[in-house]
Amino acid sequence: MSNTLLVSTRKGLFVLERAHGGWDVARTAFLGDNVALASIDPRDGNWYAVLDLGHFGNKLQRSSDQGRTWTECAVPAYAEGDQVITGDGKPPVPATLRLIWSLEAGGVDQPGRLWAGTIPGGLFRSDDHAASWQLVRSLWDKEERKQWFGGGFDQPGIHSICVEPGDARMIRIAISTAGVWGSDDDGATWQQCAQGMRAAYMPPERAHDPNVQDVHRLVQCRDQPNIFWAQHHNGVFLCTGPDGWREITNVSPSVFGFAVAVHPRDGNAAWFVPAIKDERRIPVDGQVVVARTRDGGKTFDVLRNGLPQKNAYDLVLRHALAIDASGDRLAFGSSTGGMWISENQGDRWAMLEARLPPVYAVTFA
Amino acid sequence: MAKVVLASALSRWLPESAGKPSEDVALVVPGARLDEVLSGVFERFPNLRGYVLDEHGAVRHHVAVFVDGTAIADKRNPTQMLSDRSEVYIMQALSGG
Repeated sequence: MSNTLLVSTRKGLFVLERAHGGWDVARTAFLGDNVALASIDPRDGNWYAVLDLGHFGNKLQRSSDQGRTWTECAVPAYAEGDQVITGDGKPPVPATLRLIWSLEAGGVDQPGRLWAGTIPGGLFRSDDHAASWQLVRSLWDKEERKQWFGGGFDQPGIHSICVEPGDARMIRIAISTAGVWGSDDDGATWQQCAQGMRAAYMPPERAHDPNVQDVHRLVQCRDQPNIFWAQHHNGVFLCTGPDGWREITNVSPSVFGFAVAVHPRDGNAAWFVPAIKDERRIPVDGQVVVARTRDGGKTFDVLRNGLPQKNAYDLVLRHALAIDASGDRLAFGSSTGGMWISENQGDRWAMLEARLPPVYAVTFA
Repeated sequence: MAKVVLASALSRWLPESAGKPSEDVALVVPGARLDEVLSGVFERFPNLRGYVLDEHGAVRHHVAVFVDGTAIADKRNPTQMLSDRSEVYIMQALSGG
């Protein structure tokens, strides 16, 4: 089980470690700065942190000593002439890097390979540990990109990247708002993979258009890589094979939320942290709960042991729920700085004794 | 030739070799135009380019550049002429949160 957690917050990166049976903040980095995301490269142990400096843009930092020292890397850059063209009526504008919204390591046979998903919608590839980046033009140049649009941000963004553990040429990414795109050839060609999703917010004739699906988060089961879960803007969807996505409507207490985690061995087991709905992004009845299924969405447990059950208005953002490689430990943080960790798949939660800044992302090291 | 002042919010991102100053940093940089002077700054501190300019060479939306007390008007085309006694201040725009 992982004994280290990276918590990315509005005011710094907090490294949590487990000792003497409990979790505590062991050290910090970039205290006071906006850390949007942290990512671990399991191949070489490097840690990466995305800094979203309001004035000075996005920066990427790498640490090879578990966060004690950091070195600045290159960030993805758009070229002169690259334009953001969206399907929601906004005028085209020059593409500039707004946010590195997802960062994942490539395969074990691809040393140095990293994938970065960005707002305004470009996927970038590095083959030198983030010393340089190349825009994946095979996706950027798709005609369908001109129909993408932002969900929560002005411009579309890639927030989820799933690289199949046994075959790193198989890549699935999720975009808010442009459904799920997949490549089976290491990014050379791309196709839309959101067939079966439903967008309740669109005009009826567009509701089943895969390219308008606002996926909030996409995760893939490590040992059953044909199984994907998606927390979508208006529901939860499950994909178990070539038949596409199936809507799961019985998530209790609500189908709305941002985060999802899937068990690394058992694709039928997944966790969600529901909020009321789009227009009311707070927990149902002021109670923080986690919804868990162990049977592929047929039934859900509502887990609340150790979670605040009165006057709680914590929202859990899309990258702020994580499960470790053992599948037993889970952790999530909230936009109001709450942080909870479970050692037993969510049966019981322990609150971190801290008042953190707003939590953007939680990552097991 | 111009005196260039980097506000502390910016100078703290200078590399270790620059001593990681926590105060404003003042430099004297050759150049007759603002873009030439900025290039001189970035020659000395390559990583600063991405903090001051976006990838297309425009001054970032939330970065302000003052020349002799006046904010530059054209952030996309910072080519105005400088005098030998010009002072260039590079600072963060003010915002809260």
